[in-house]
Amino acid sequence: MDRLLYIAMTGAAHIDRAQTVHANNLANLGTSGFRADLAQARAVQVNGDGYETRVFALAEQPASDFRQGPLMETGRDLDVAVSGQGFFAVQLPDGSEAYTRAGEFVVDALGTLRNGAGYAVLGDGGPISLPPYERLQIGGDGSITIQPEGQGEQALVQIDRLRLVKPEQGEVAKGPDGLFRPIDDVALASSAEVAVVAGFVESSNVNAIHEMTAILELSRQFELEVRLMKAAEQNDEAAQELVSVN
Amino acid sequence: MMSSLWVSKTGLSAQDTALHTISNNLANVSTVGFKRDRAVFNDLLYQIQQQPGGQSSQDTTLPSGLQLGTGVRVAGTQKMFSEGSLQTTEAPLDLAIDGRGFFQIITPDGNTAYTRDGQFHLDQDGQLVNSQGYALEPSITVPADADSVTIGADGIVSAMTRGSATATQLGTIELVSFVNPAGLQAAGNNLFWETPSSGSPQSGTPGQDGLGMVLQGMLENSNVSVVEELVNMVSVQRAYEMNSRVVSTSDQMLQYLTQNL
Repeated sequence: MDRLLYIAMTGAAHIDRAQTVHANNLANLGTSGFRADLAQARAVQVNGDGYETRVFALAEQPASDFRQGPLMETGRDLDVAVSGQGFFAVQLPDGSEAYTRAGEFVVDALGTLRNGAGYAVLGDGGPISLPPYERLQIGGDGSITIQPEGQGEQALVQIDRLRLVKPEQGEVAKGPDGLFRPIDDVALASSAEVAVVAGFVESSNVNAIHEMTAILELSRQFELEVRLMKAAEQNDEAAQELVSVN
Repeated sequence: MMSSLWVSKTGLSAQDTALHTISNNLANVSTVGFKRDRAVFNDLLYQIQQQPGGQSSQDTTLPSGLQLGTGVRVAGTQKMFSEGSLQTTEAPLDLAIDGRGFFQIITPDGNTAYTRDGQFHLDQDGQLVNSQGYALEPSITVPADADSVTIGADGIVSAMTRGSATATQLGTIELVSFVNPAGLQAAGNNLFWETPSSGSPQSGTPGQDGLGMVLQGMLENSNVSVVEELVNMVSVQRAYEMNSRVVSTSDQMLQYLTQNL
């Protein structure tokens, strides 16, 4: 009886966790640059004599979905979206580097280019600092050109170039703050292959239909696990009746 | 209790905030000099339940871990300082800024506020004031016997008086610019306050140093695009519905559990 009850219980506990992953994806349906998390369950056999028939469920979050999210036109100079594979690089307060797809940049009072969460956006030579400008343009390769304040159309200056990286499959993973980091802690090299488009924001790549279906499917699976627990209880009762003396 | 309930709750409150900014934008669709807001979302922290690469037994490691996200939060709202369309009114004291810059307004407590709303009036002393009656800085007083007031693109205000062949110069309207106008604090009444993140105001003559020109007889409309806001509203509403569906599904799962065990 214990096998059935506890195995069904790990199944239900796994469904609870997987449900959280999908709920988190749906909560971030409107978070620009968000990459959906995937959830899976793995069968883990209990080793040892007489235990081999017990196989527990283990919930895992193997990776994030790196598919392109839809691009939304905003027309704002400092909104940039990565088209295809690739990431922007930002500097964390401790000086380390992390990668993000969210390109809603702002300029702070000191002229430093920052992302929506307030981290400095990295260029080829460290954090990007912009002098007062009248007009700003970000090119398809991430180069930033400005028309300095009080100067004419001819006085365009290239300030810096956004640092863009193109990690291979499995080279980066999502950290606890939602930013991506290299798995082996070695900063990735800048890539010339990454294309960006200015005036667009990449929205979340969560597929709402997929997430809703997964949530409904999991809730039915949960009911199945509960049925199994109920069956375990009924088996136990039946066994008790057989051996009872009255 | 099921963590998915709390995660979807953050989704619901974030979409609620997004709808709040959208409705405020739509309410101000015809407010002169209004700049639209945009809600910016961030994912909340992730909780690591199983560390990837952790030991599953003495000789084996887990190929992937389990990180559970805790939902979403509104990181902030961004003011979008794109220029609104210009509307001709022919009123001599209606001013629009074509390009960057803000008018300076002295509030009753003596502080300086900044605005792009150029609907000016005269008070009983002939001083140029905004629609709340707060004076424009630098102060400009139009004499009582002035026939007409002309404001040039460079901000020079002059008046023609009866019996005089030449115009009298009354003063110059100065504009200010900010390094990061999105960092200004919206104060209501179409006014903005300076903040540490906006930088300090740099004043100058209209049409110079990157400042826009002052256009007399015109007003800058709100930069809210109705179509865009309505499209945003649709996506916010559907996202809200899906998050509330997760709440009800989690509720049903718990209900099934309590009823059957």
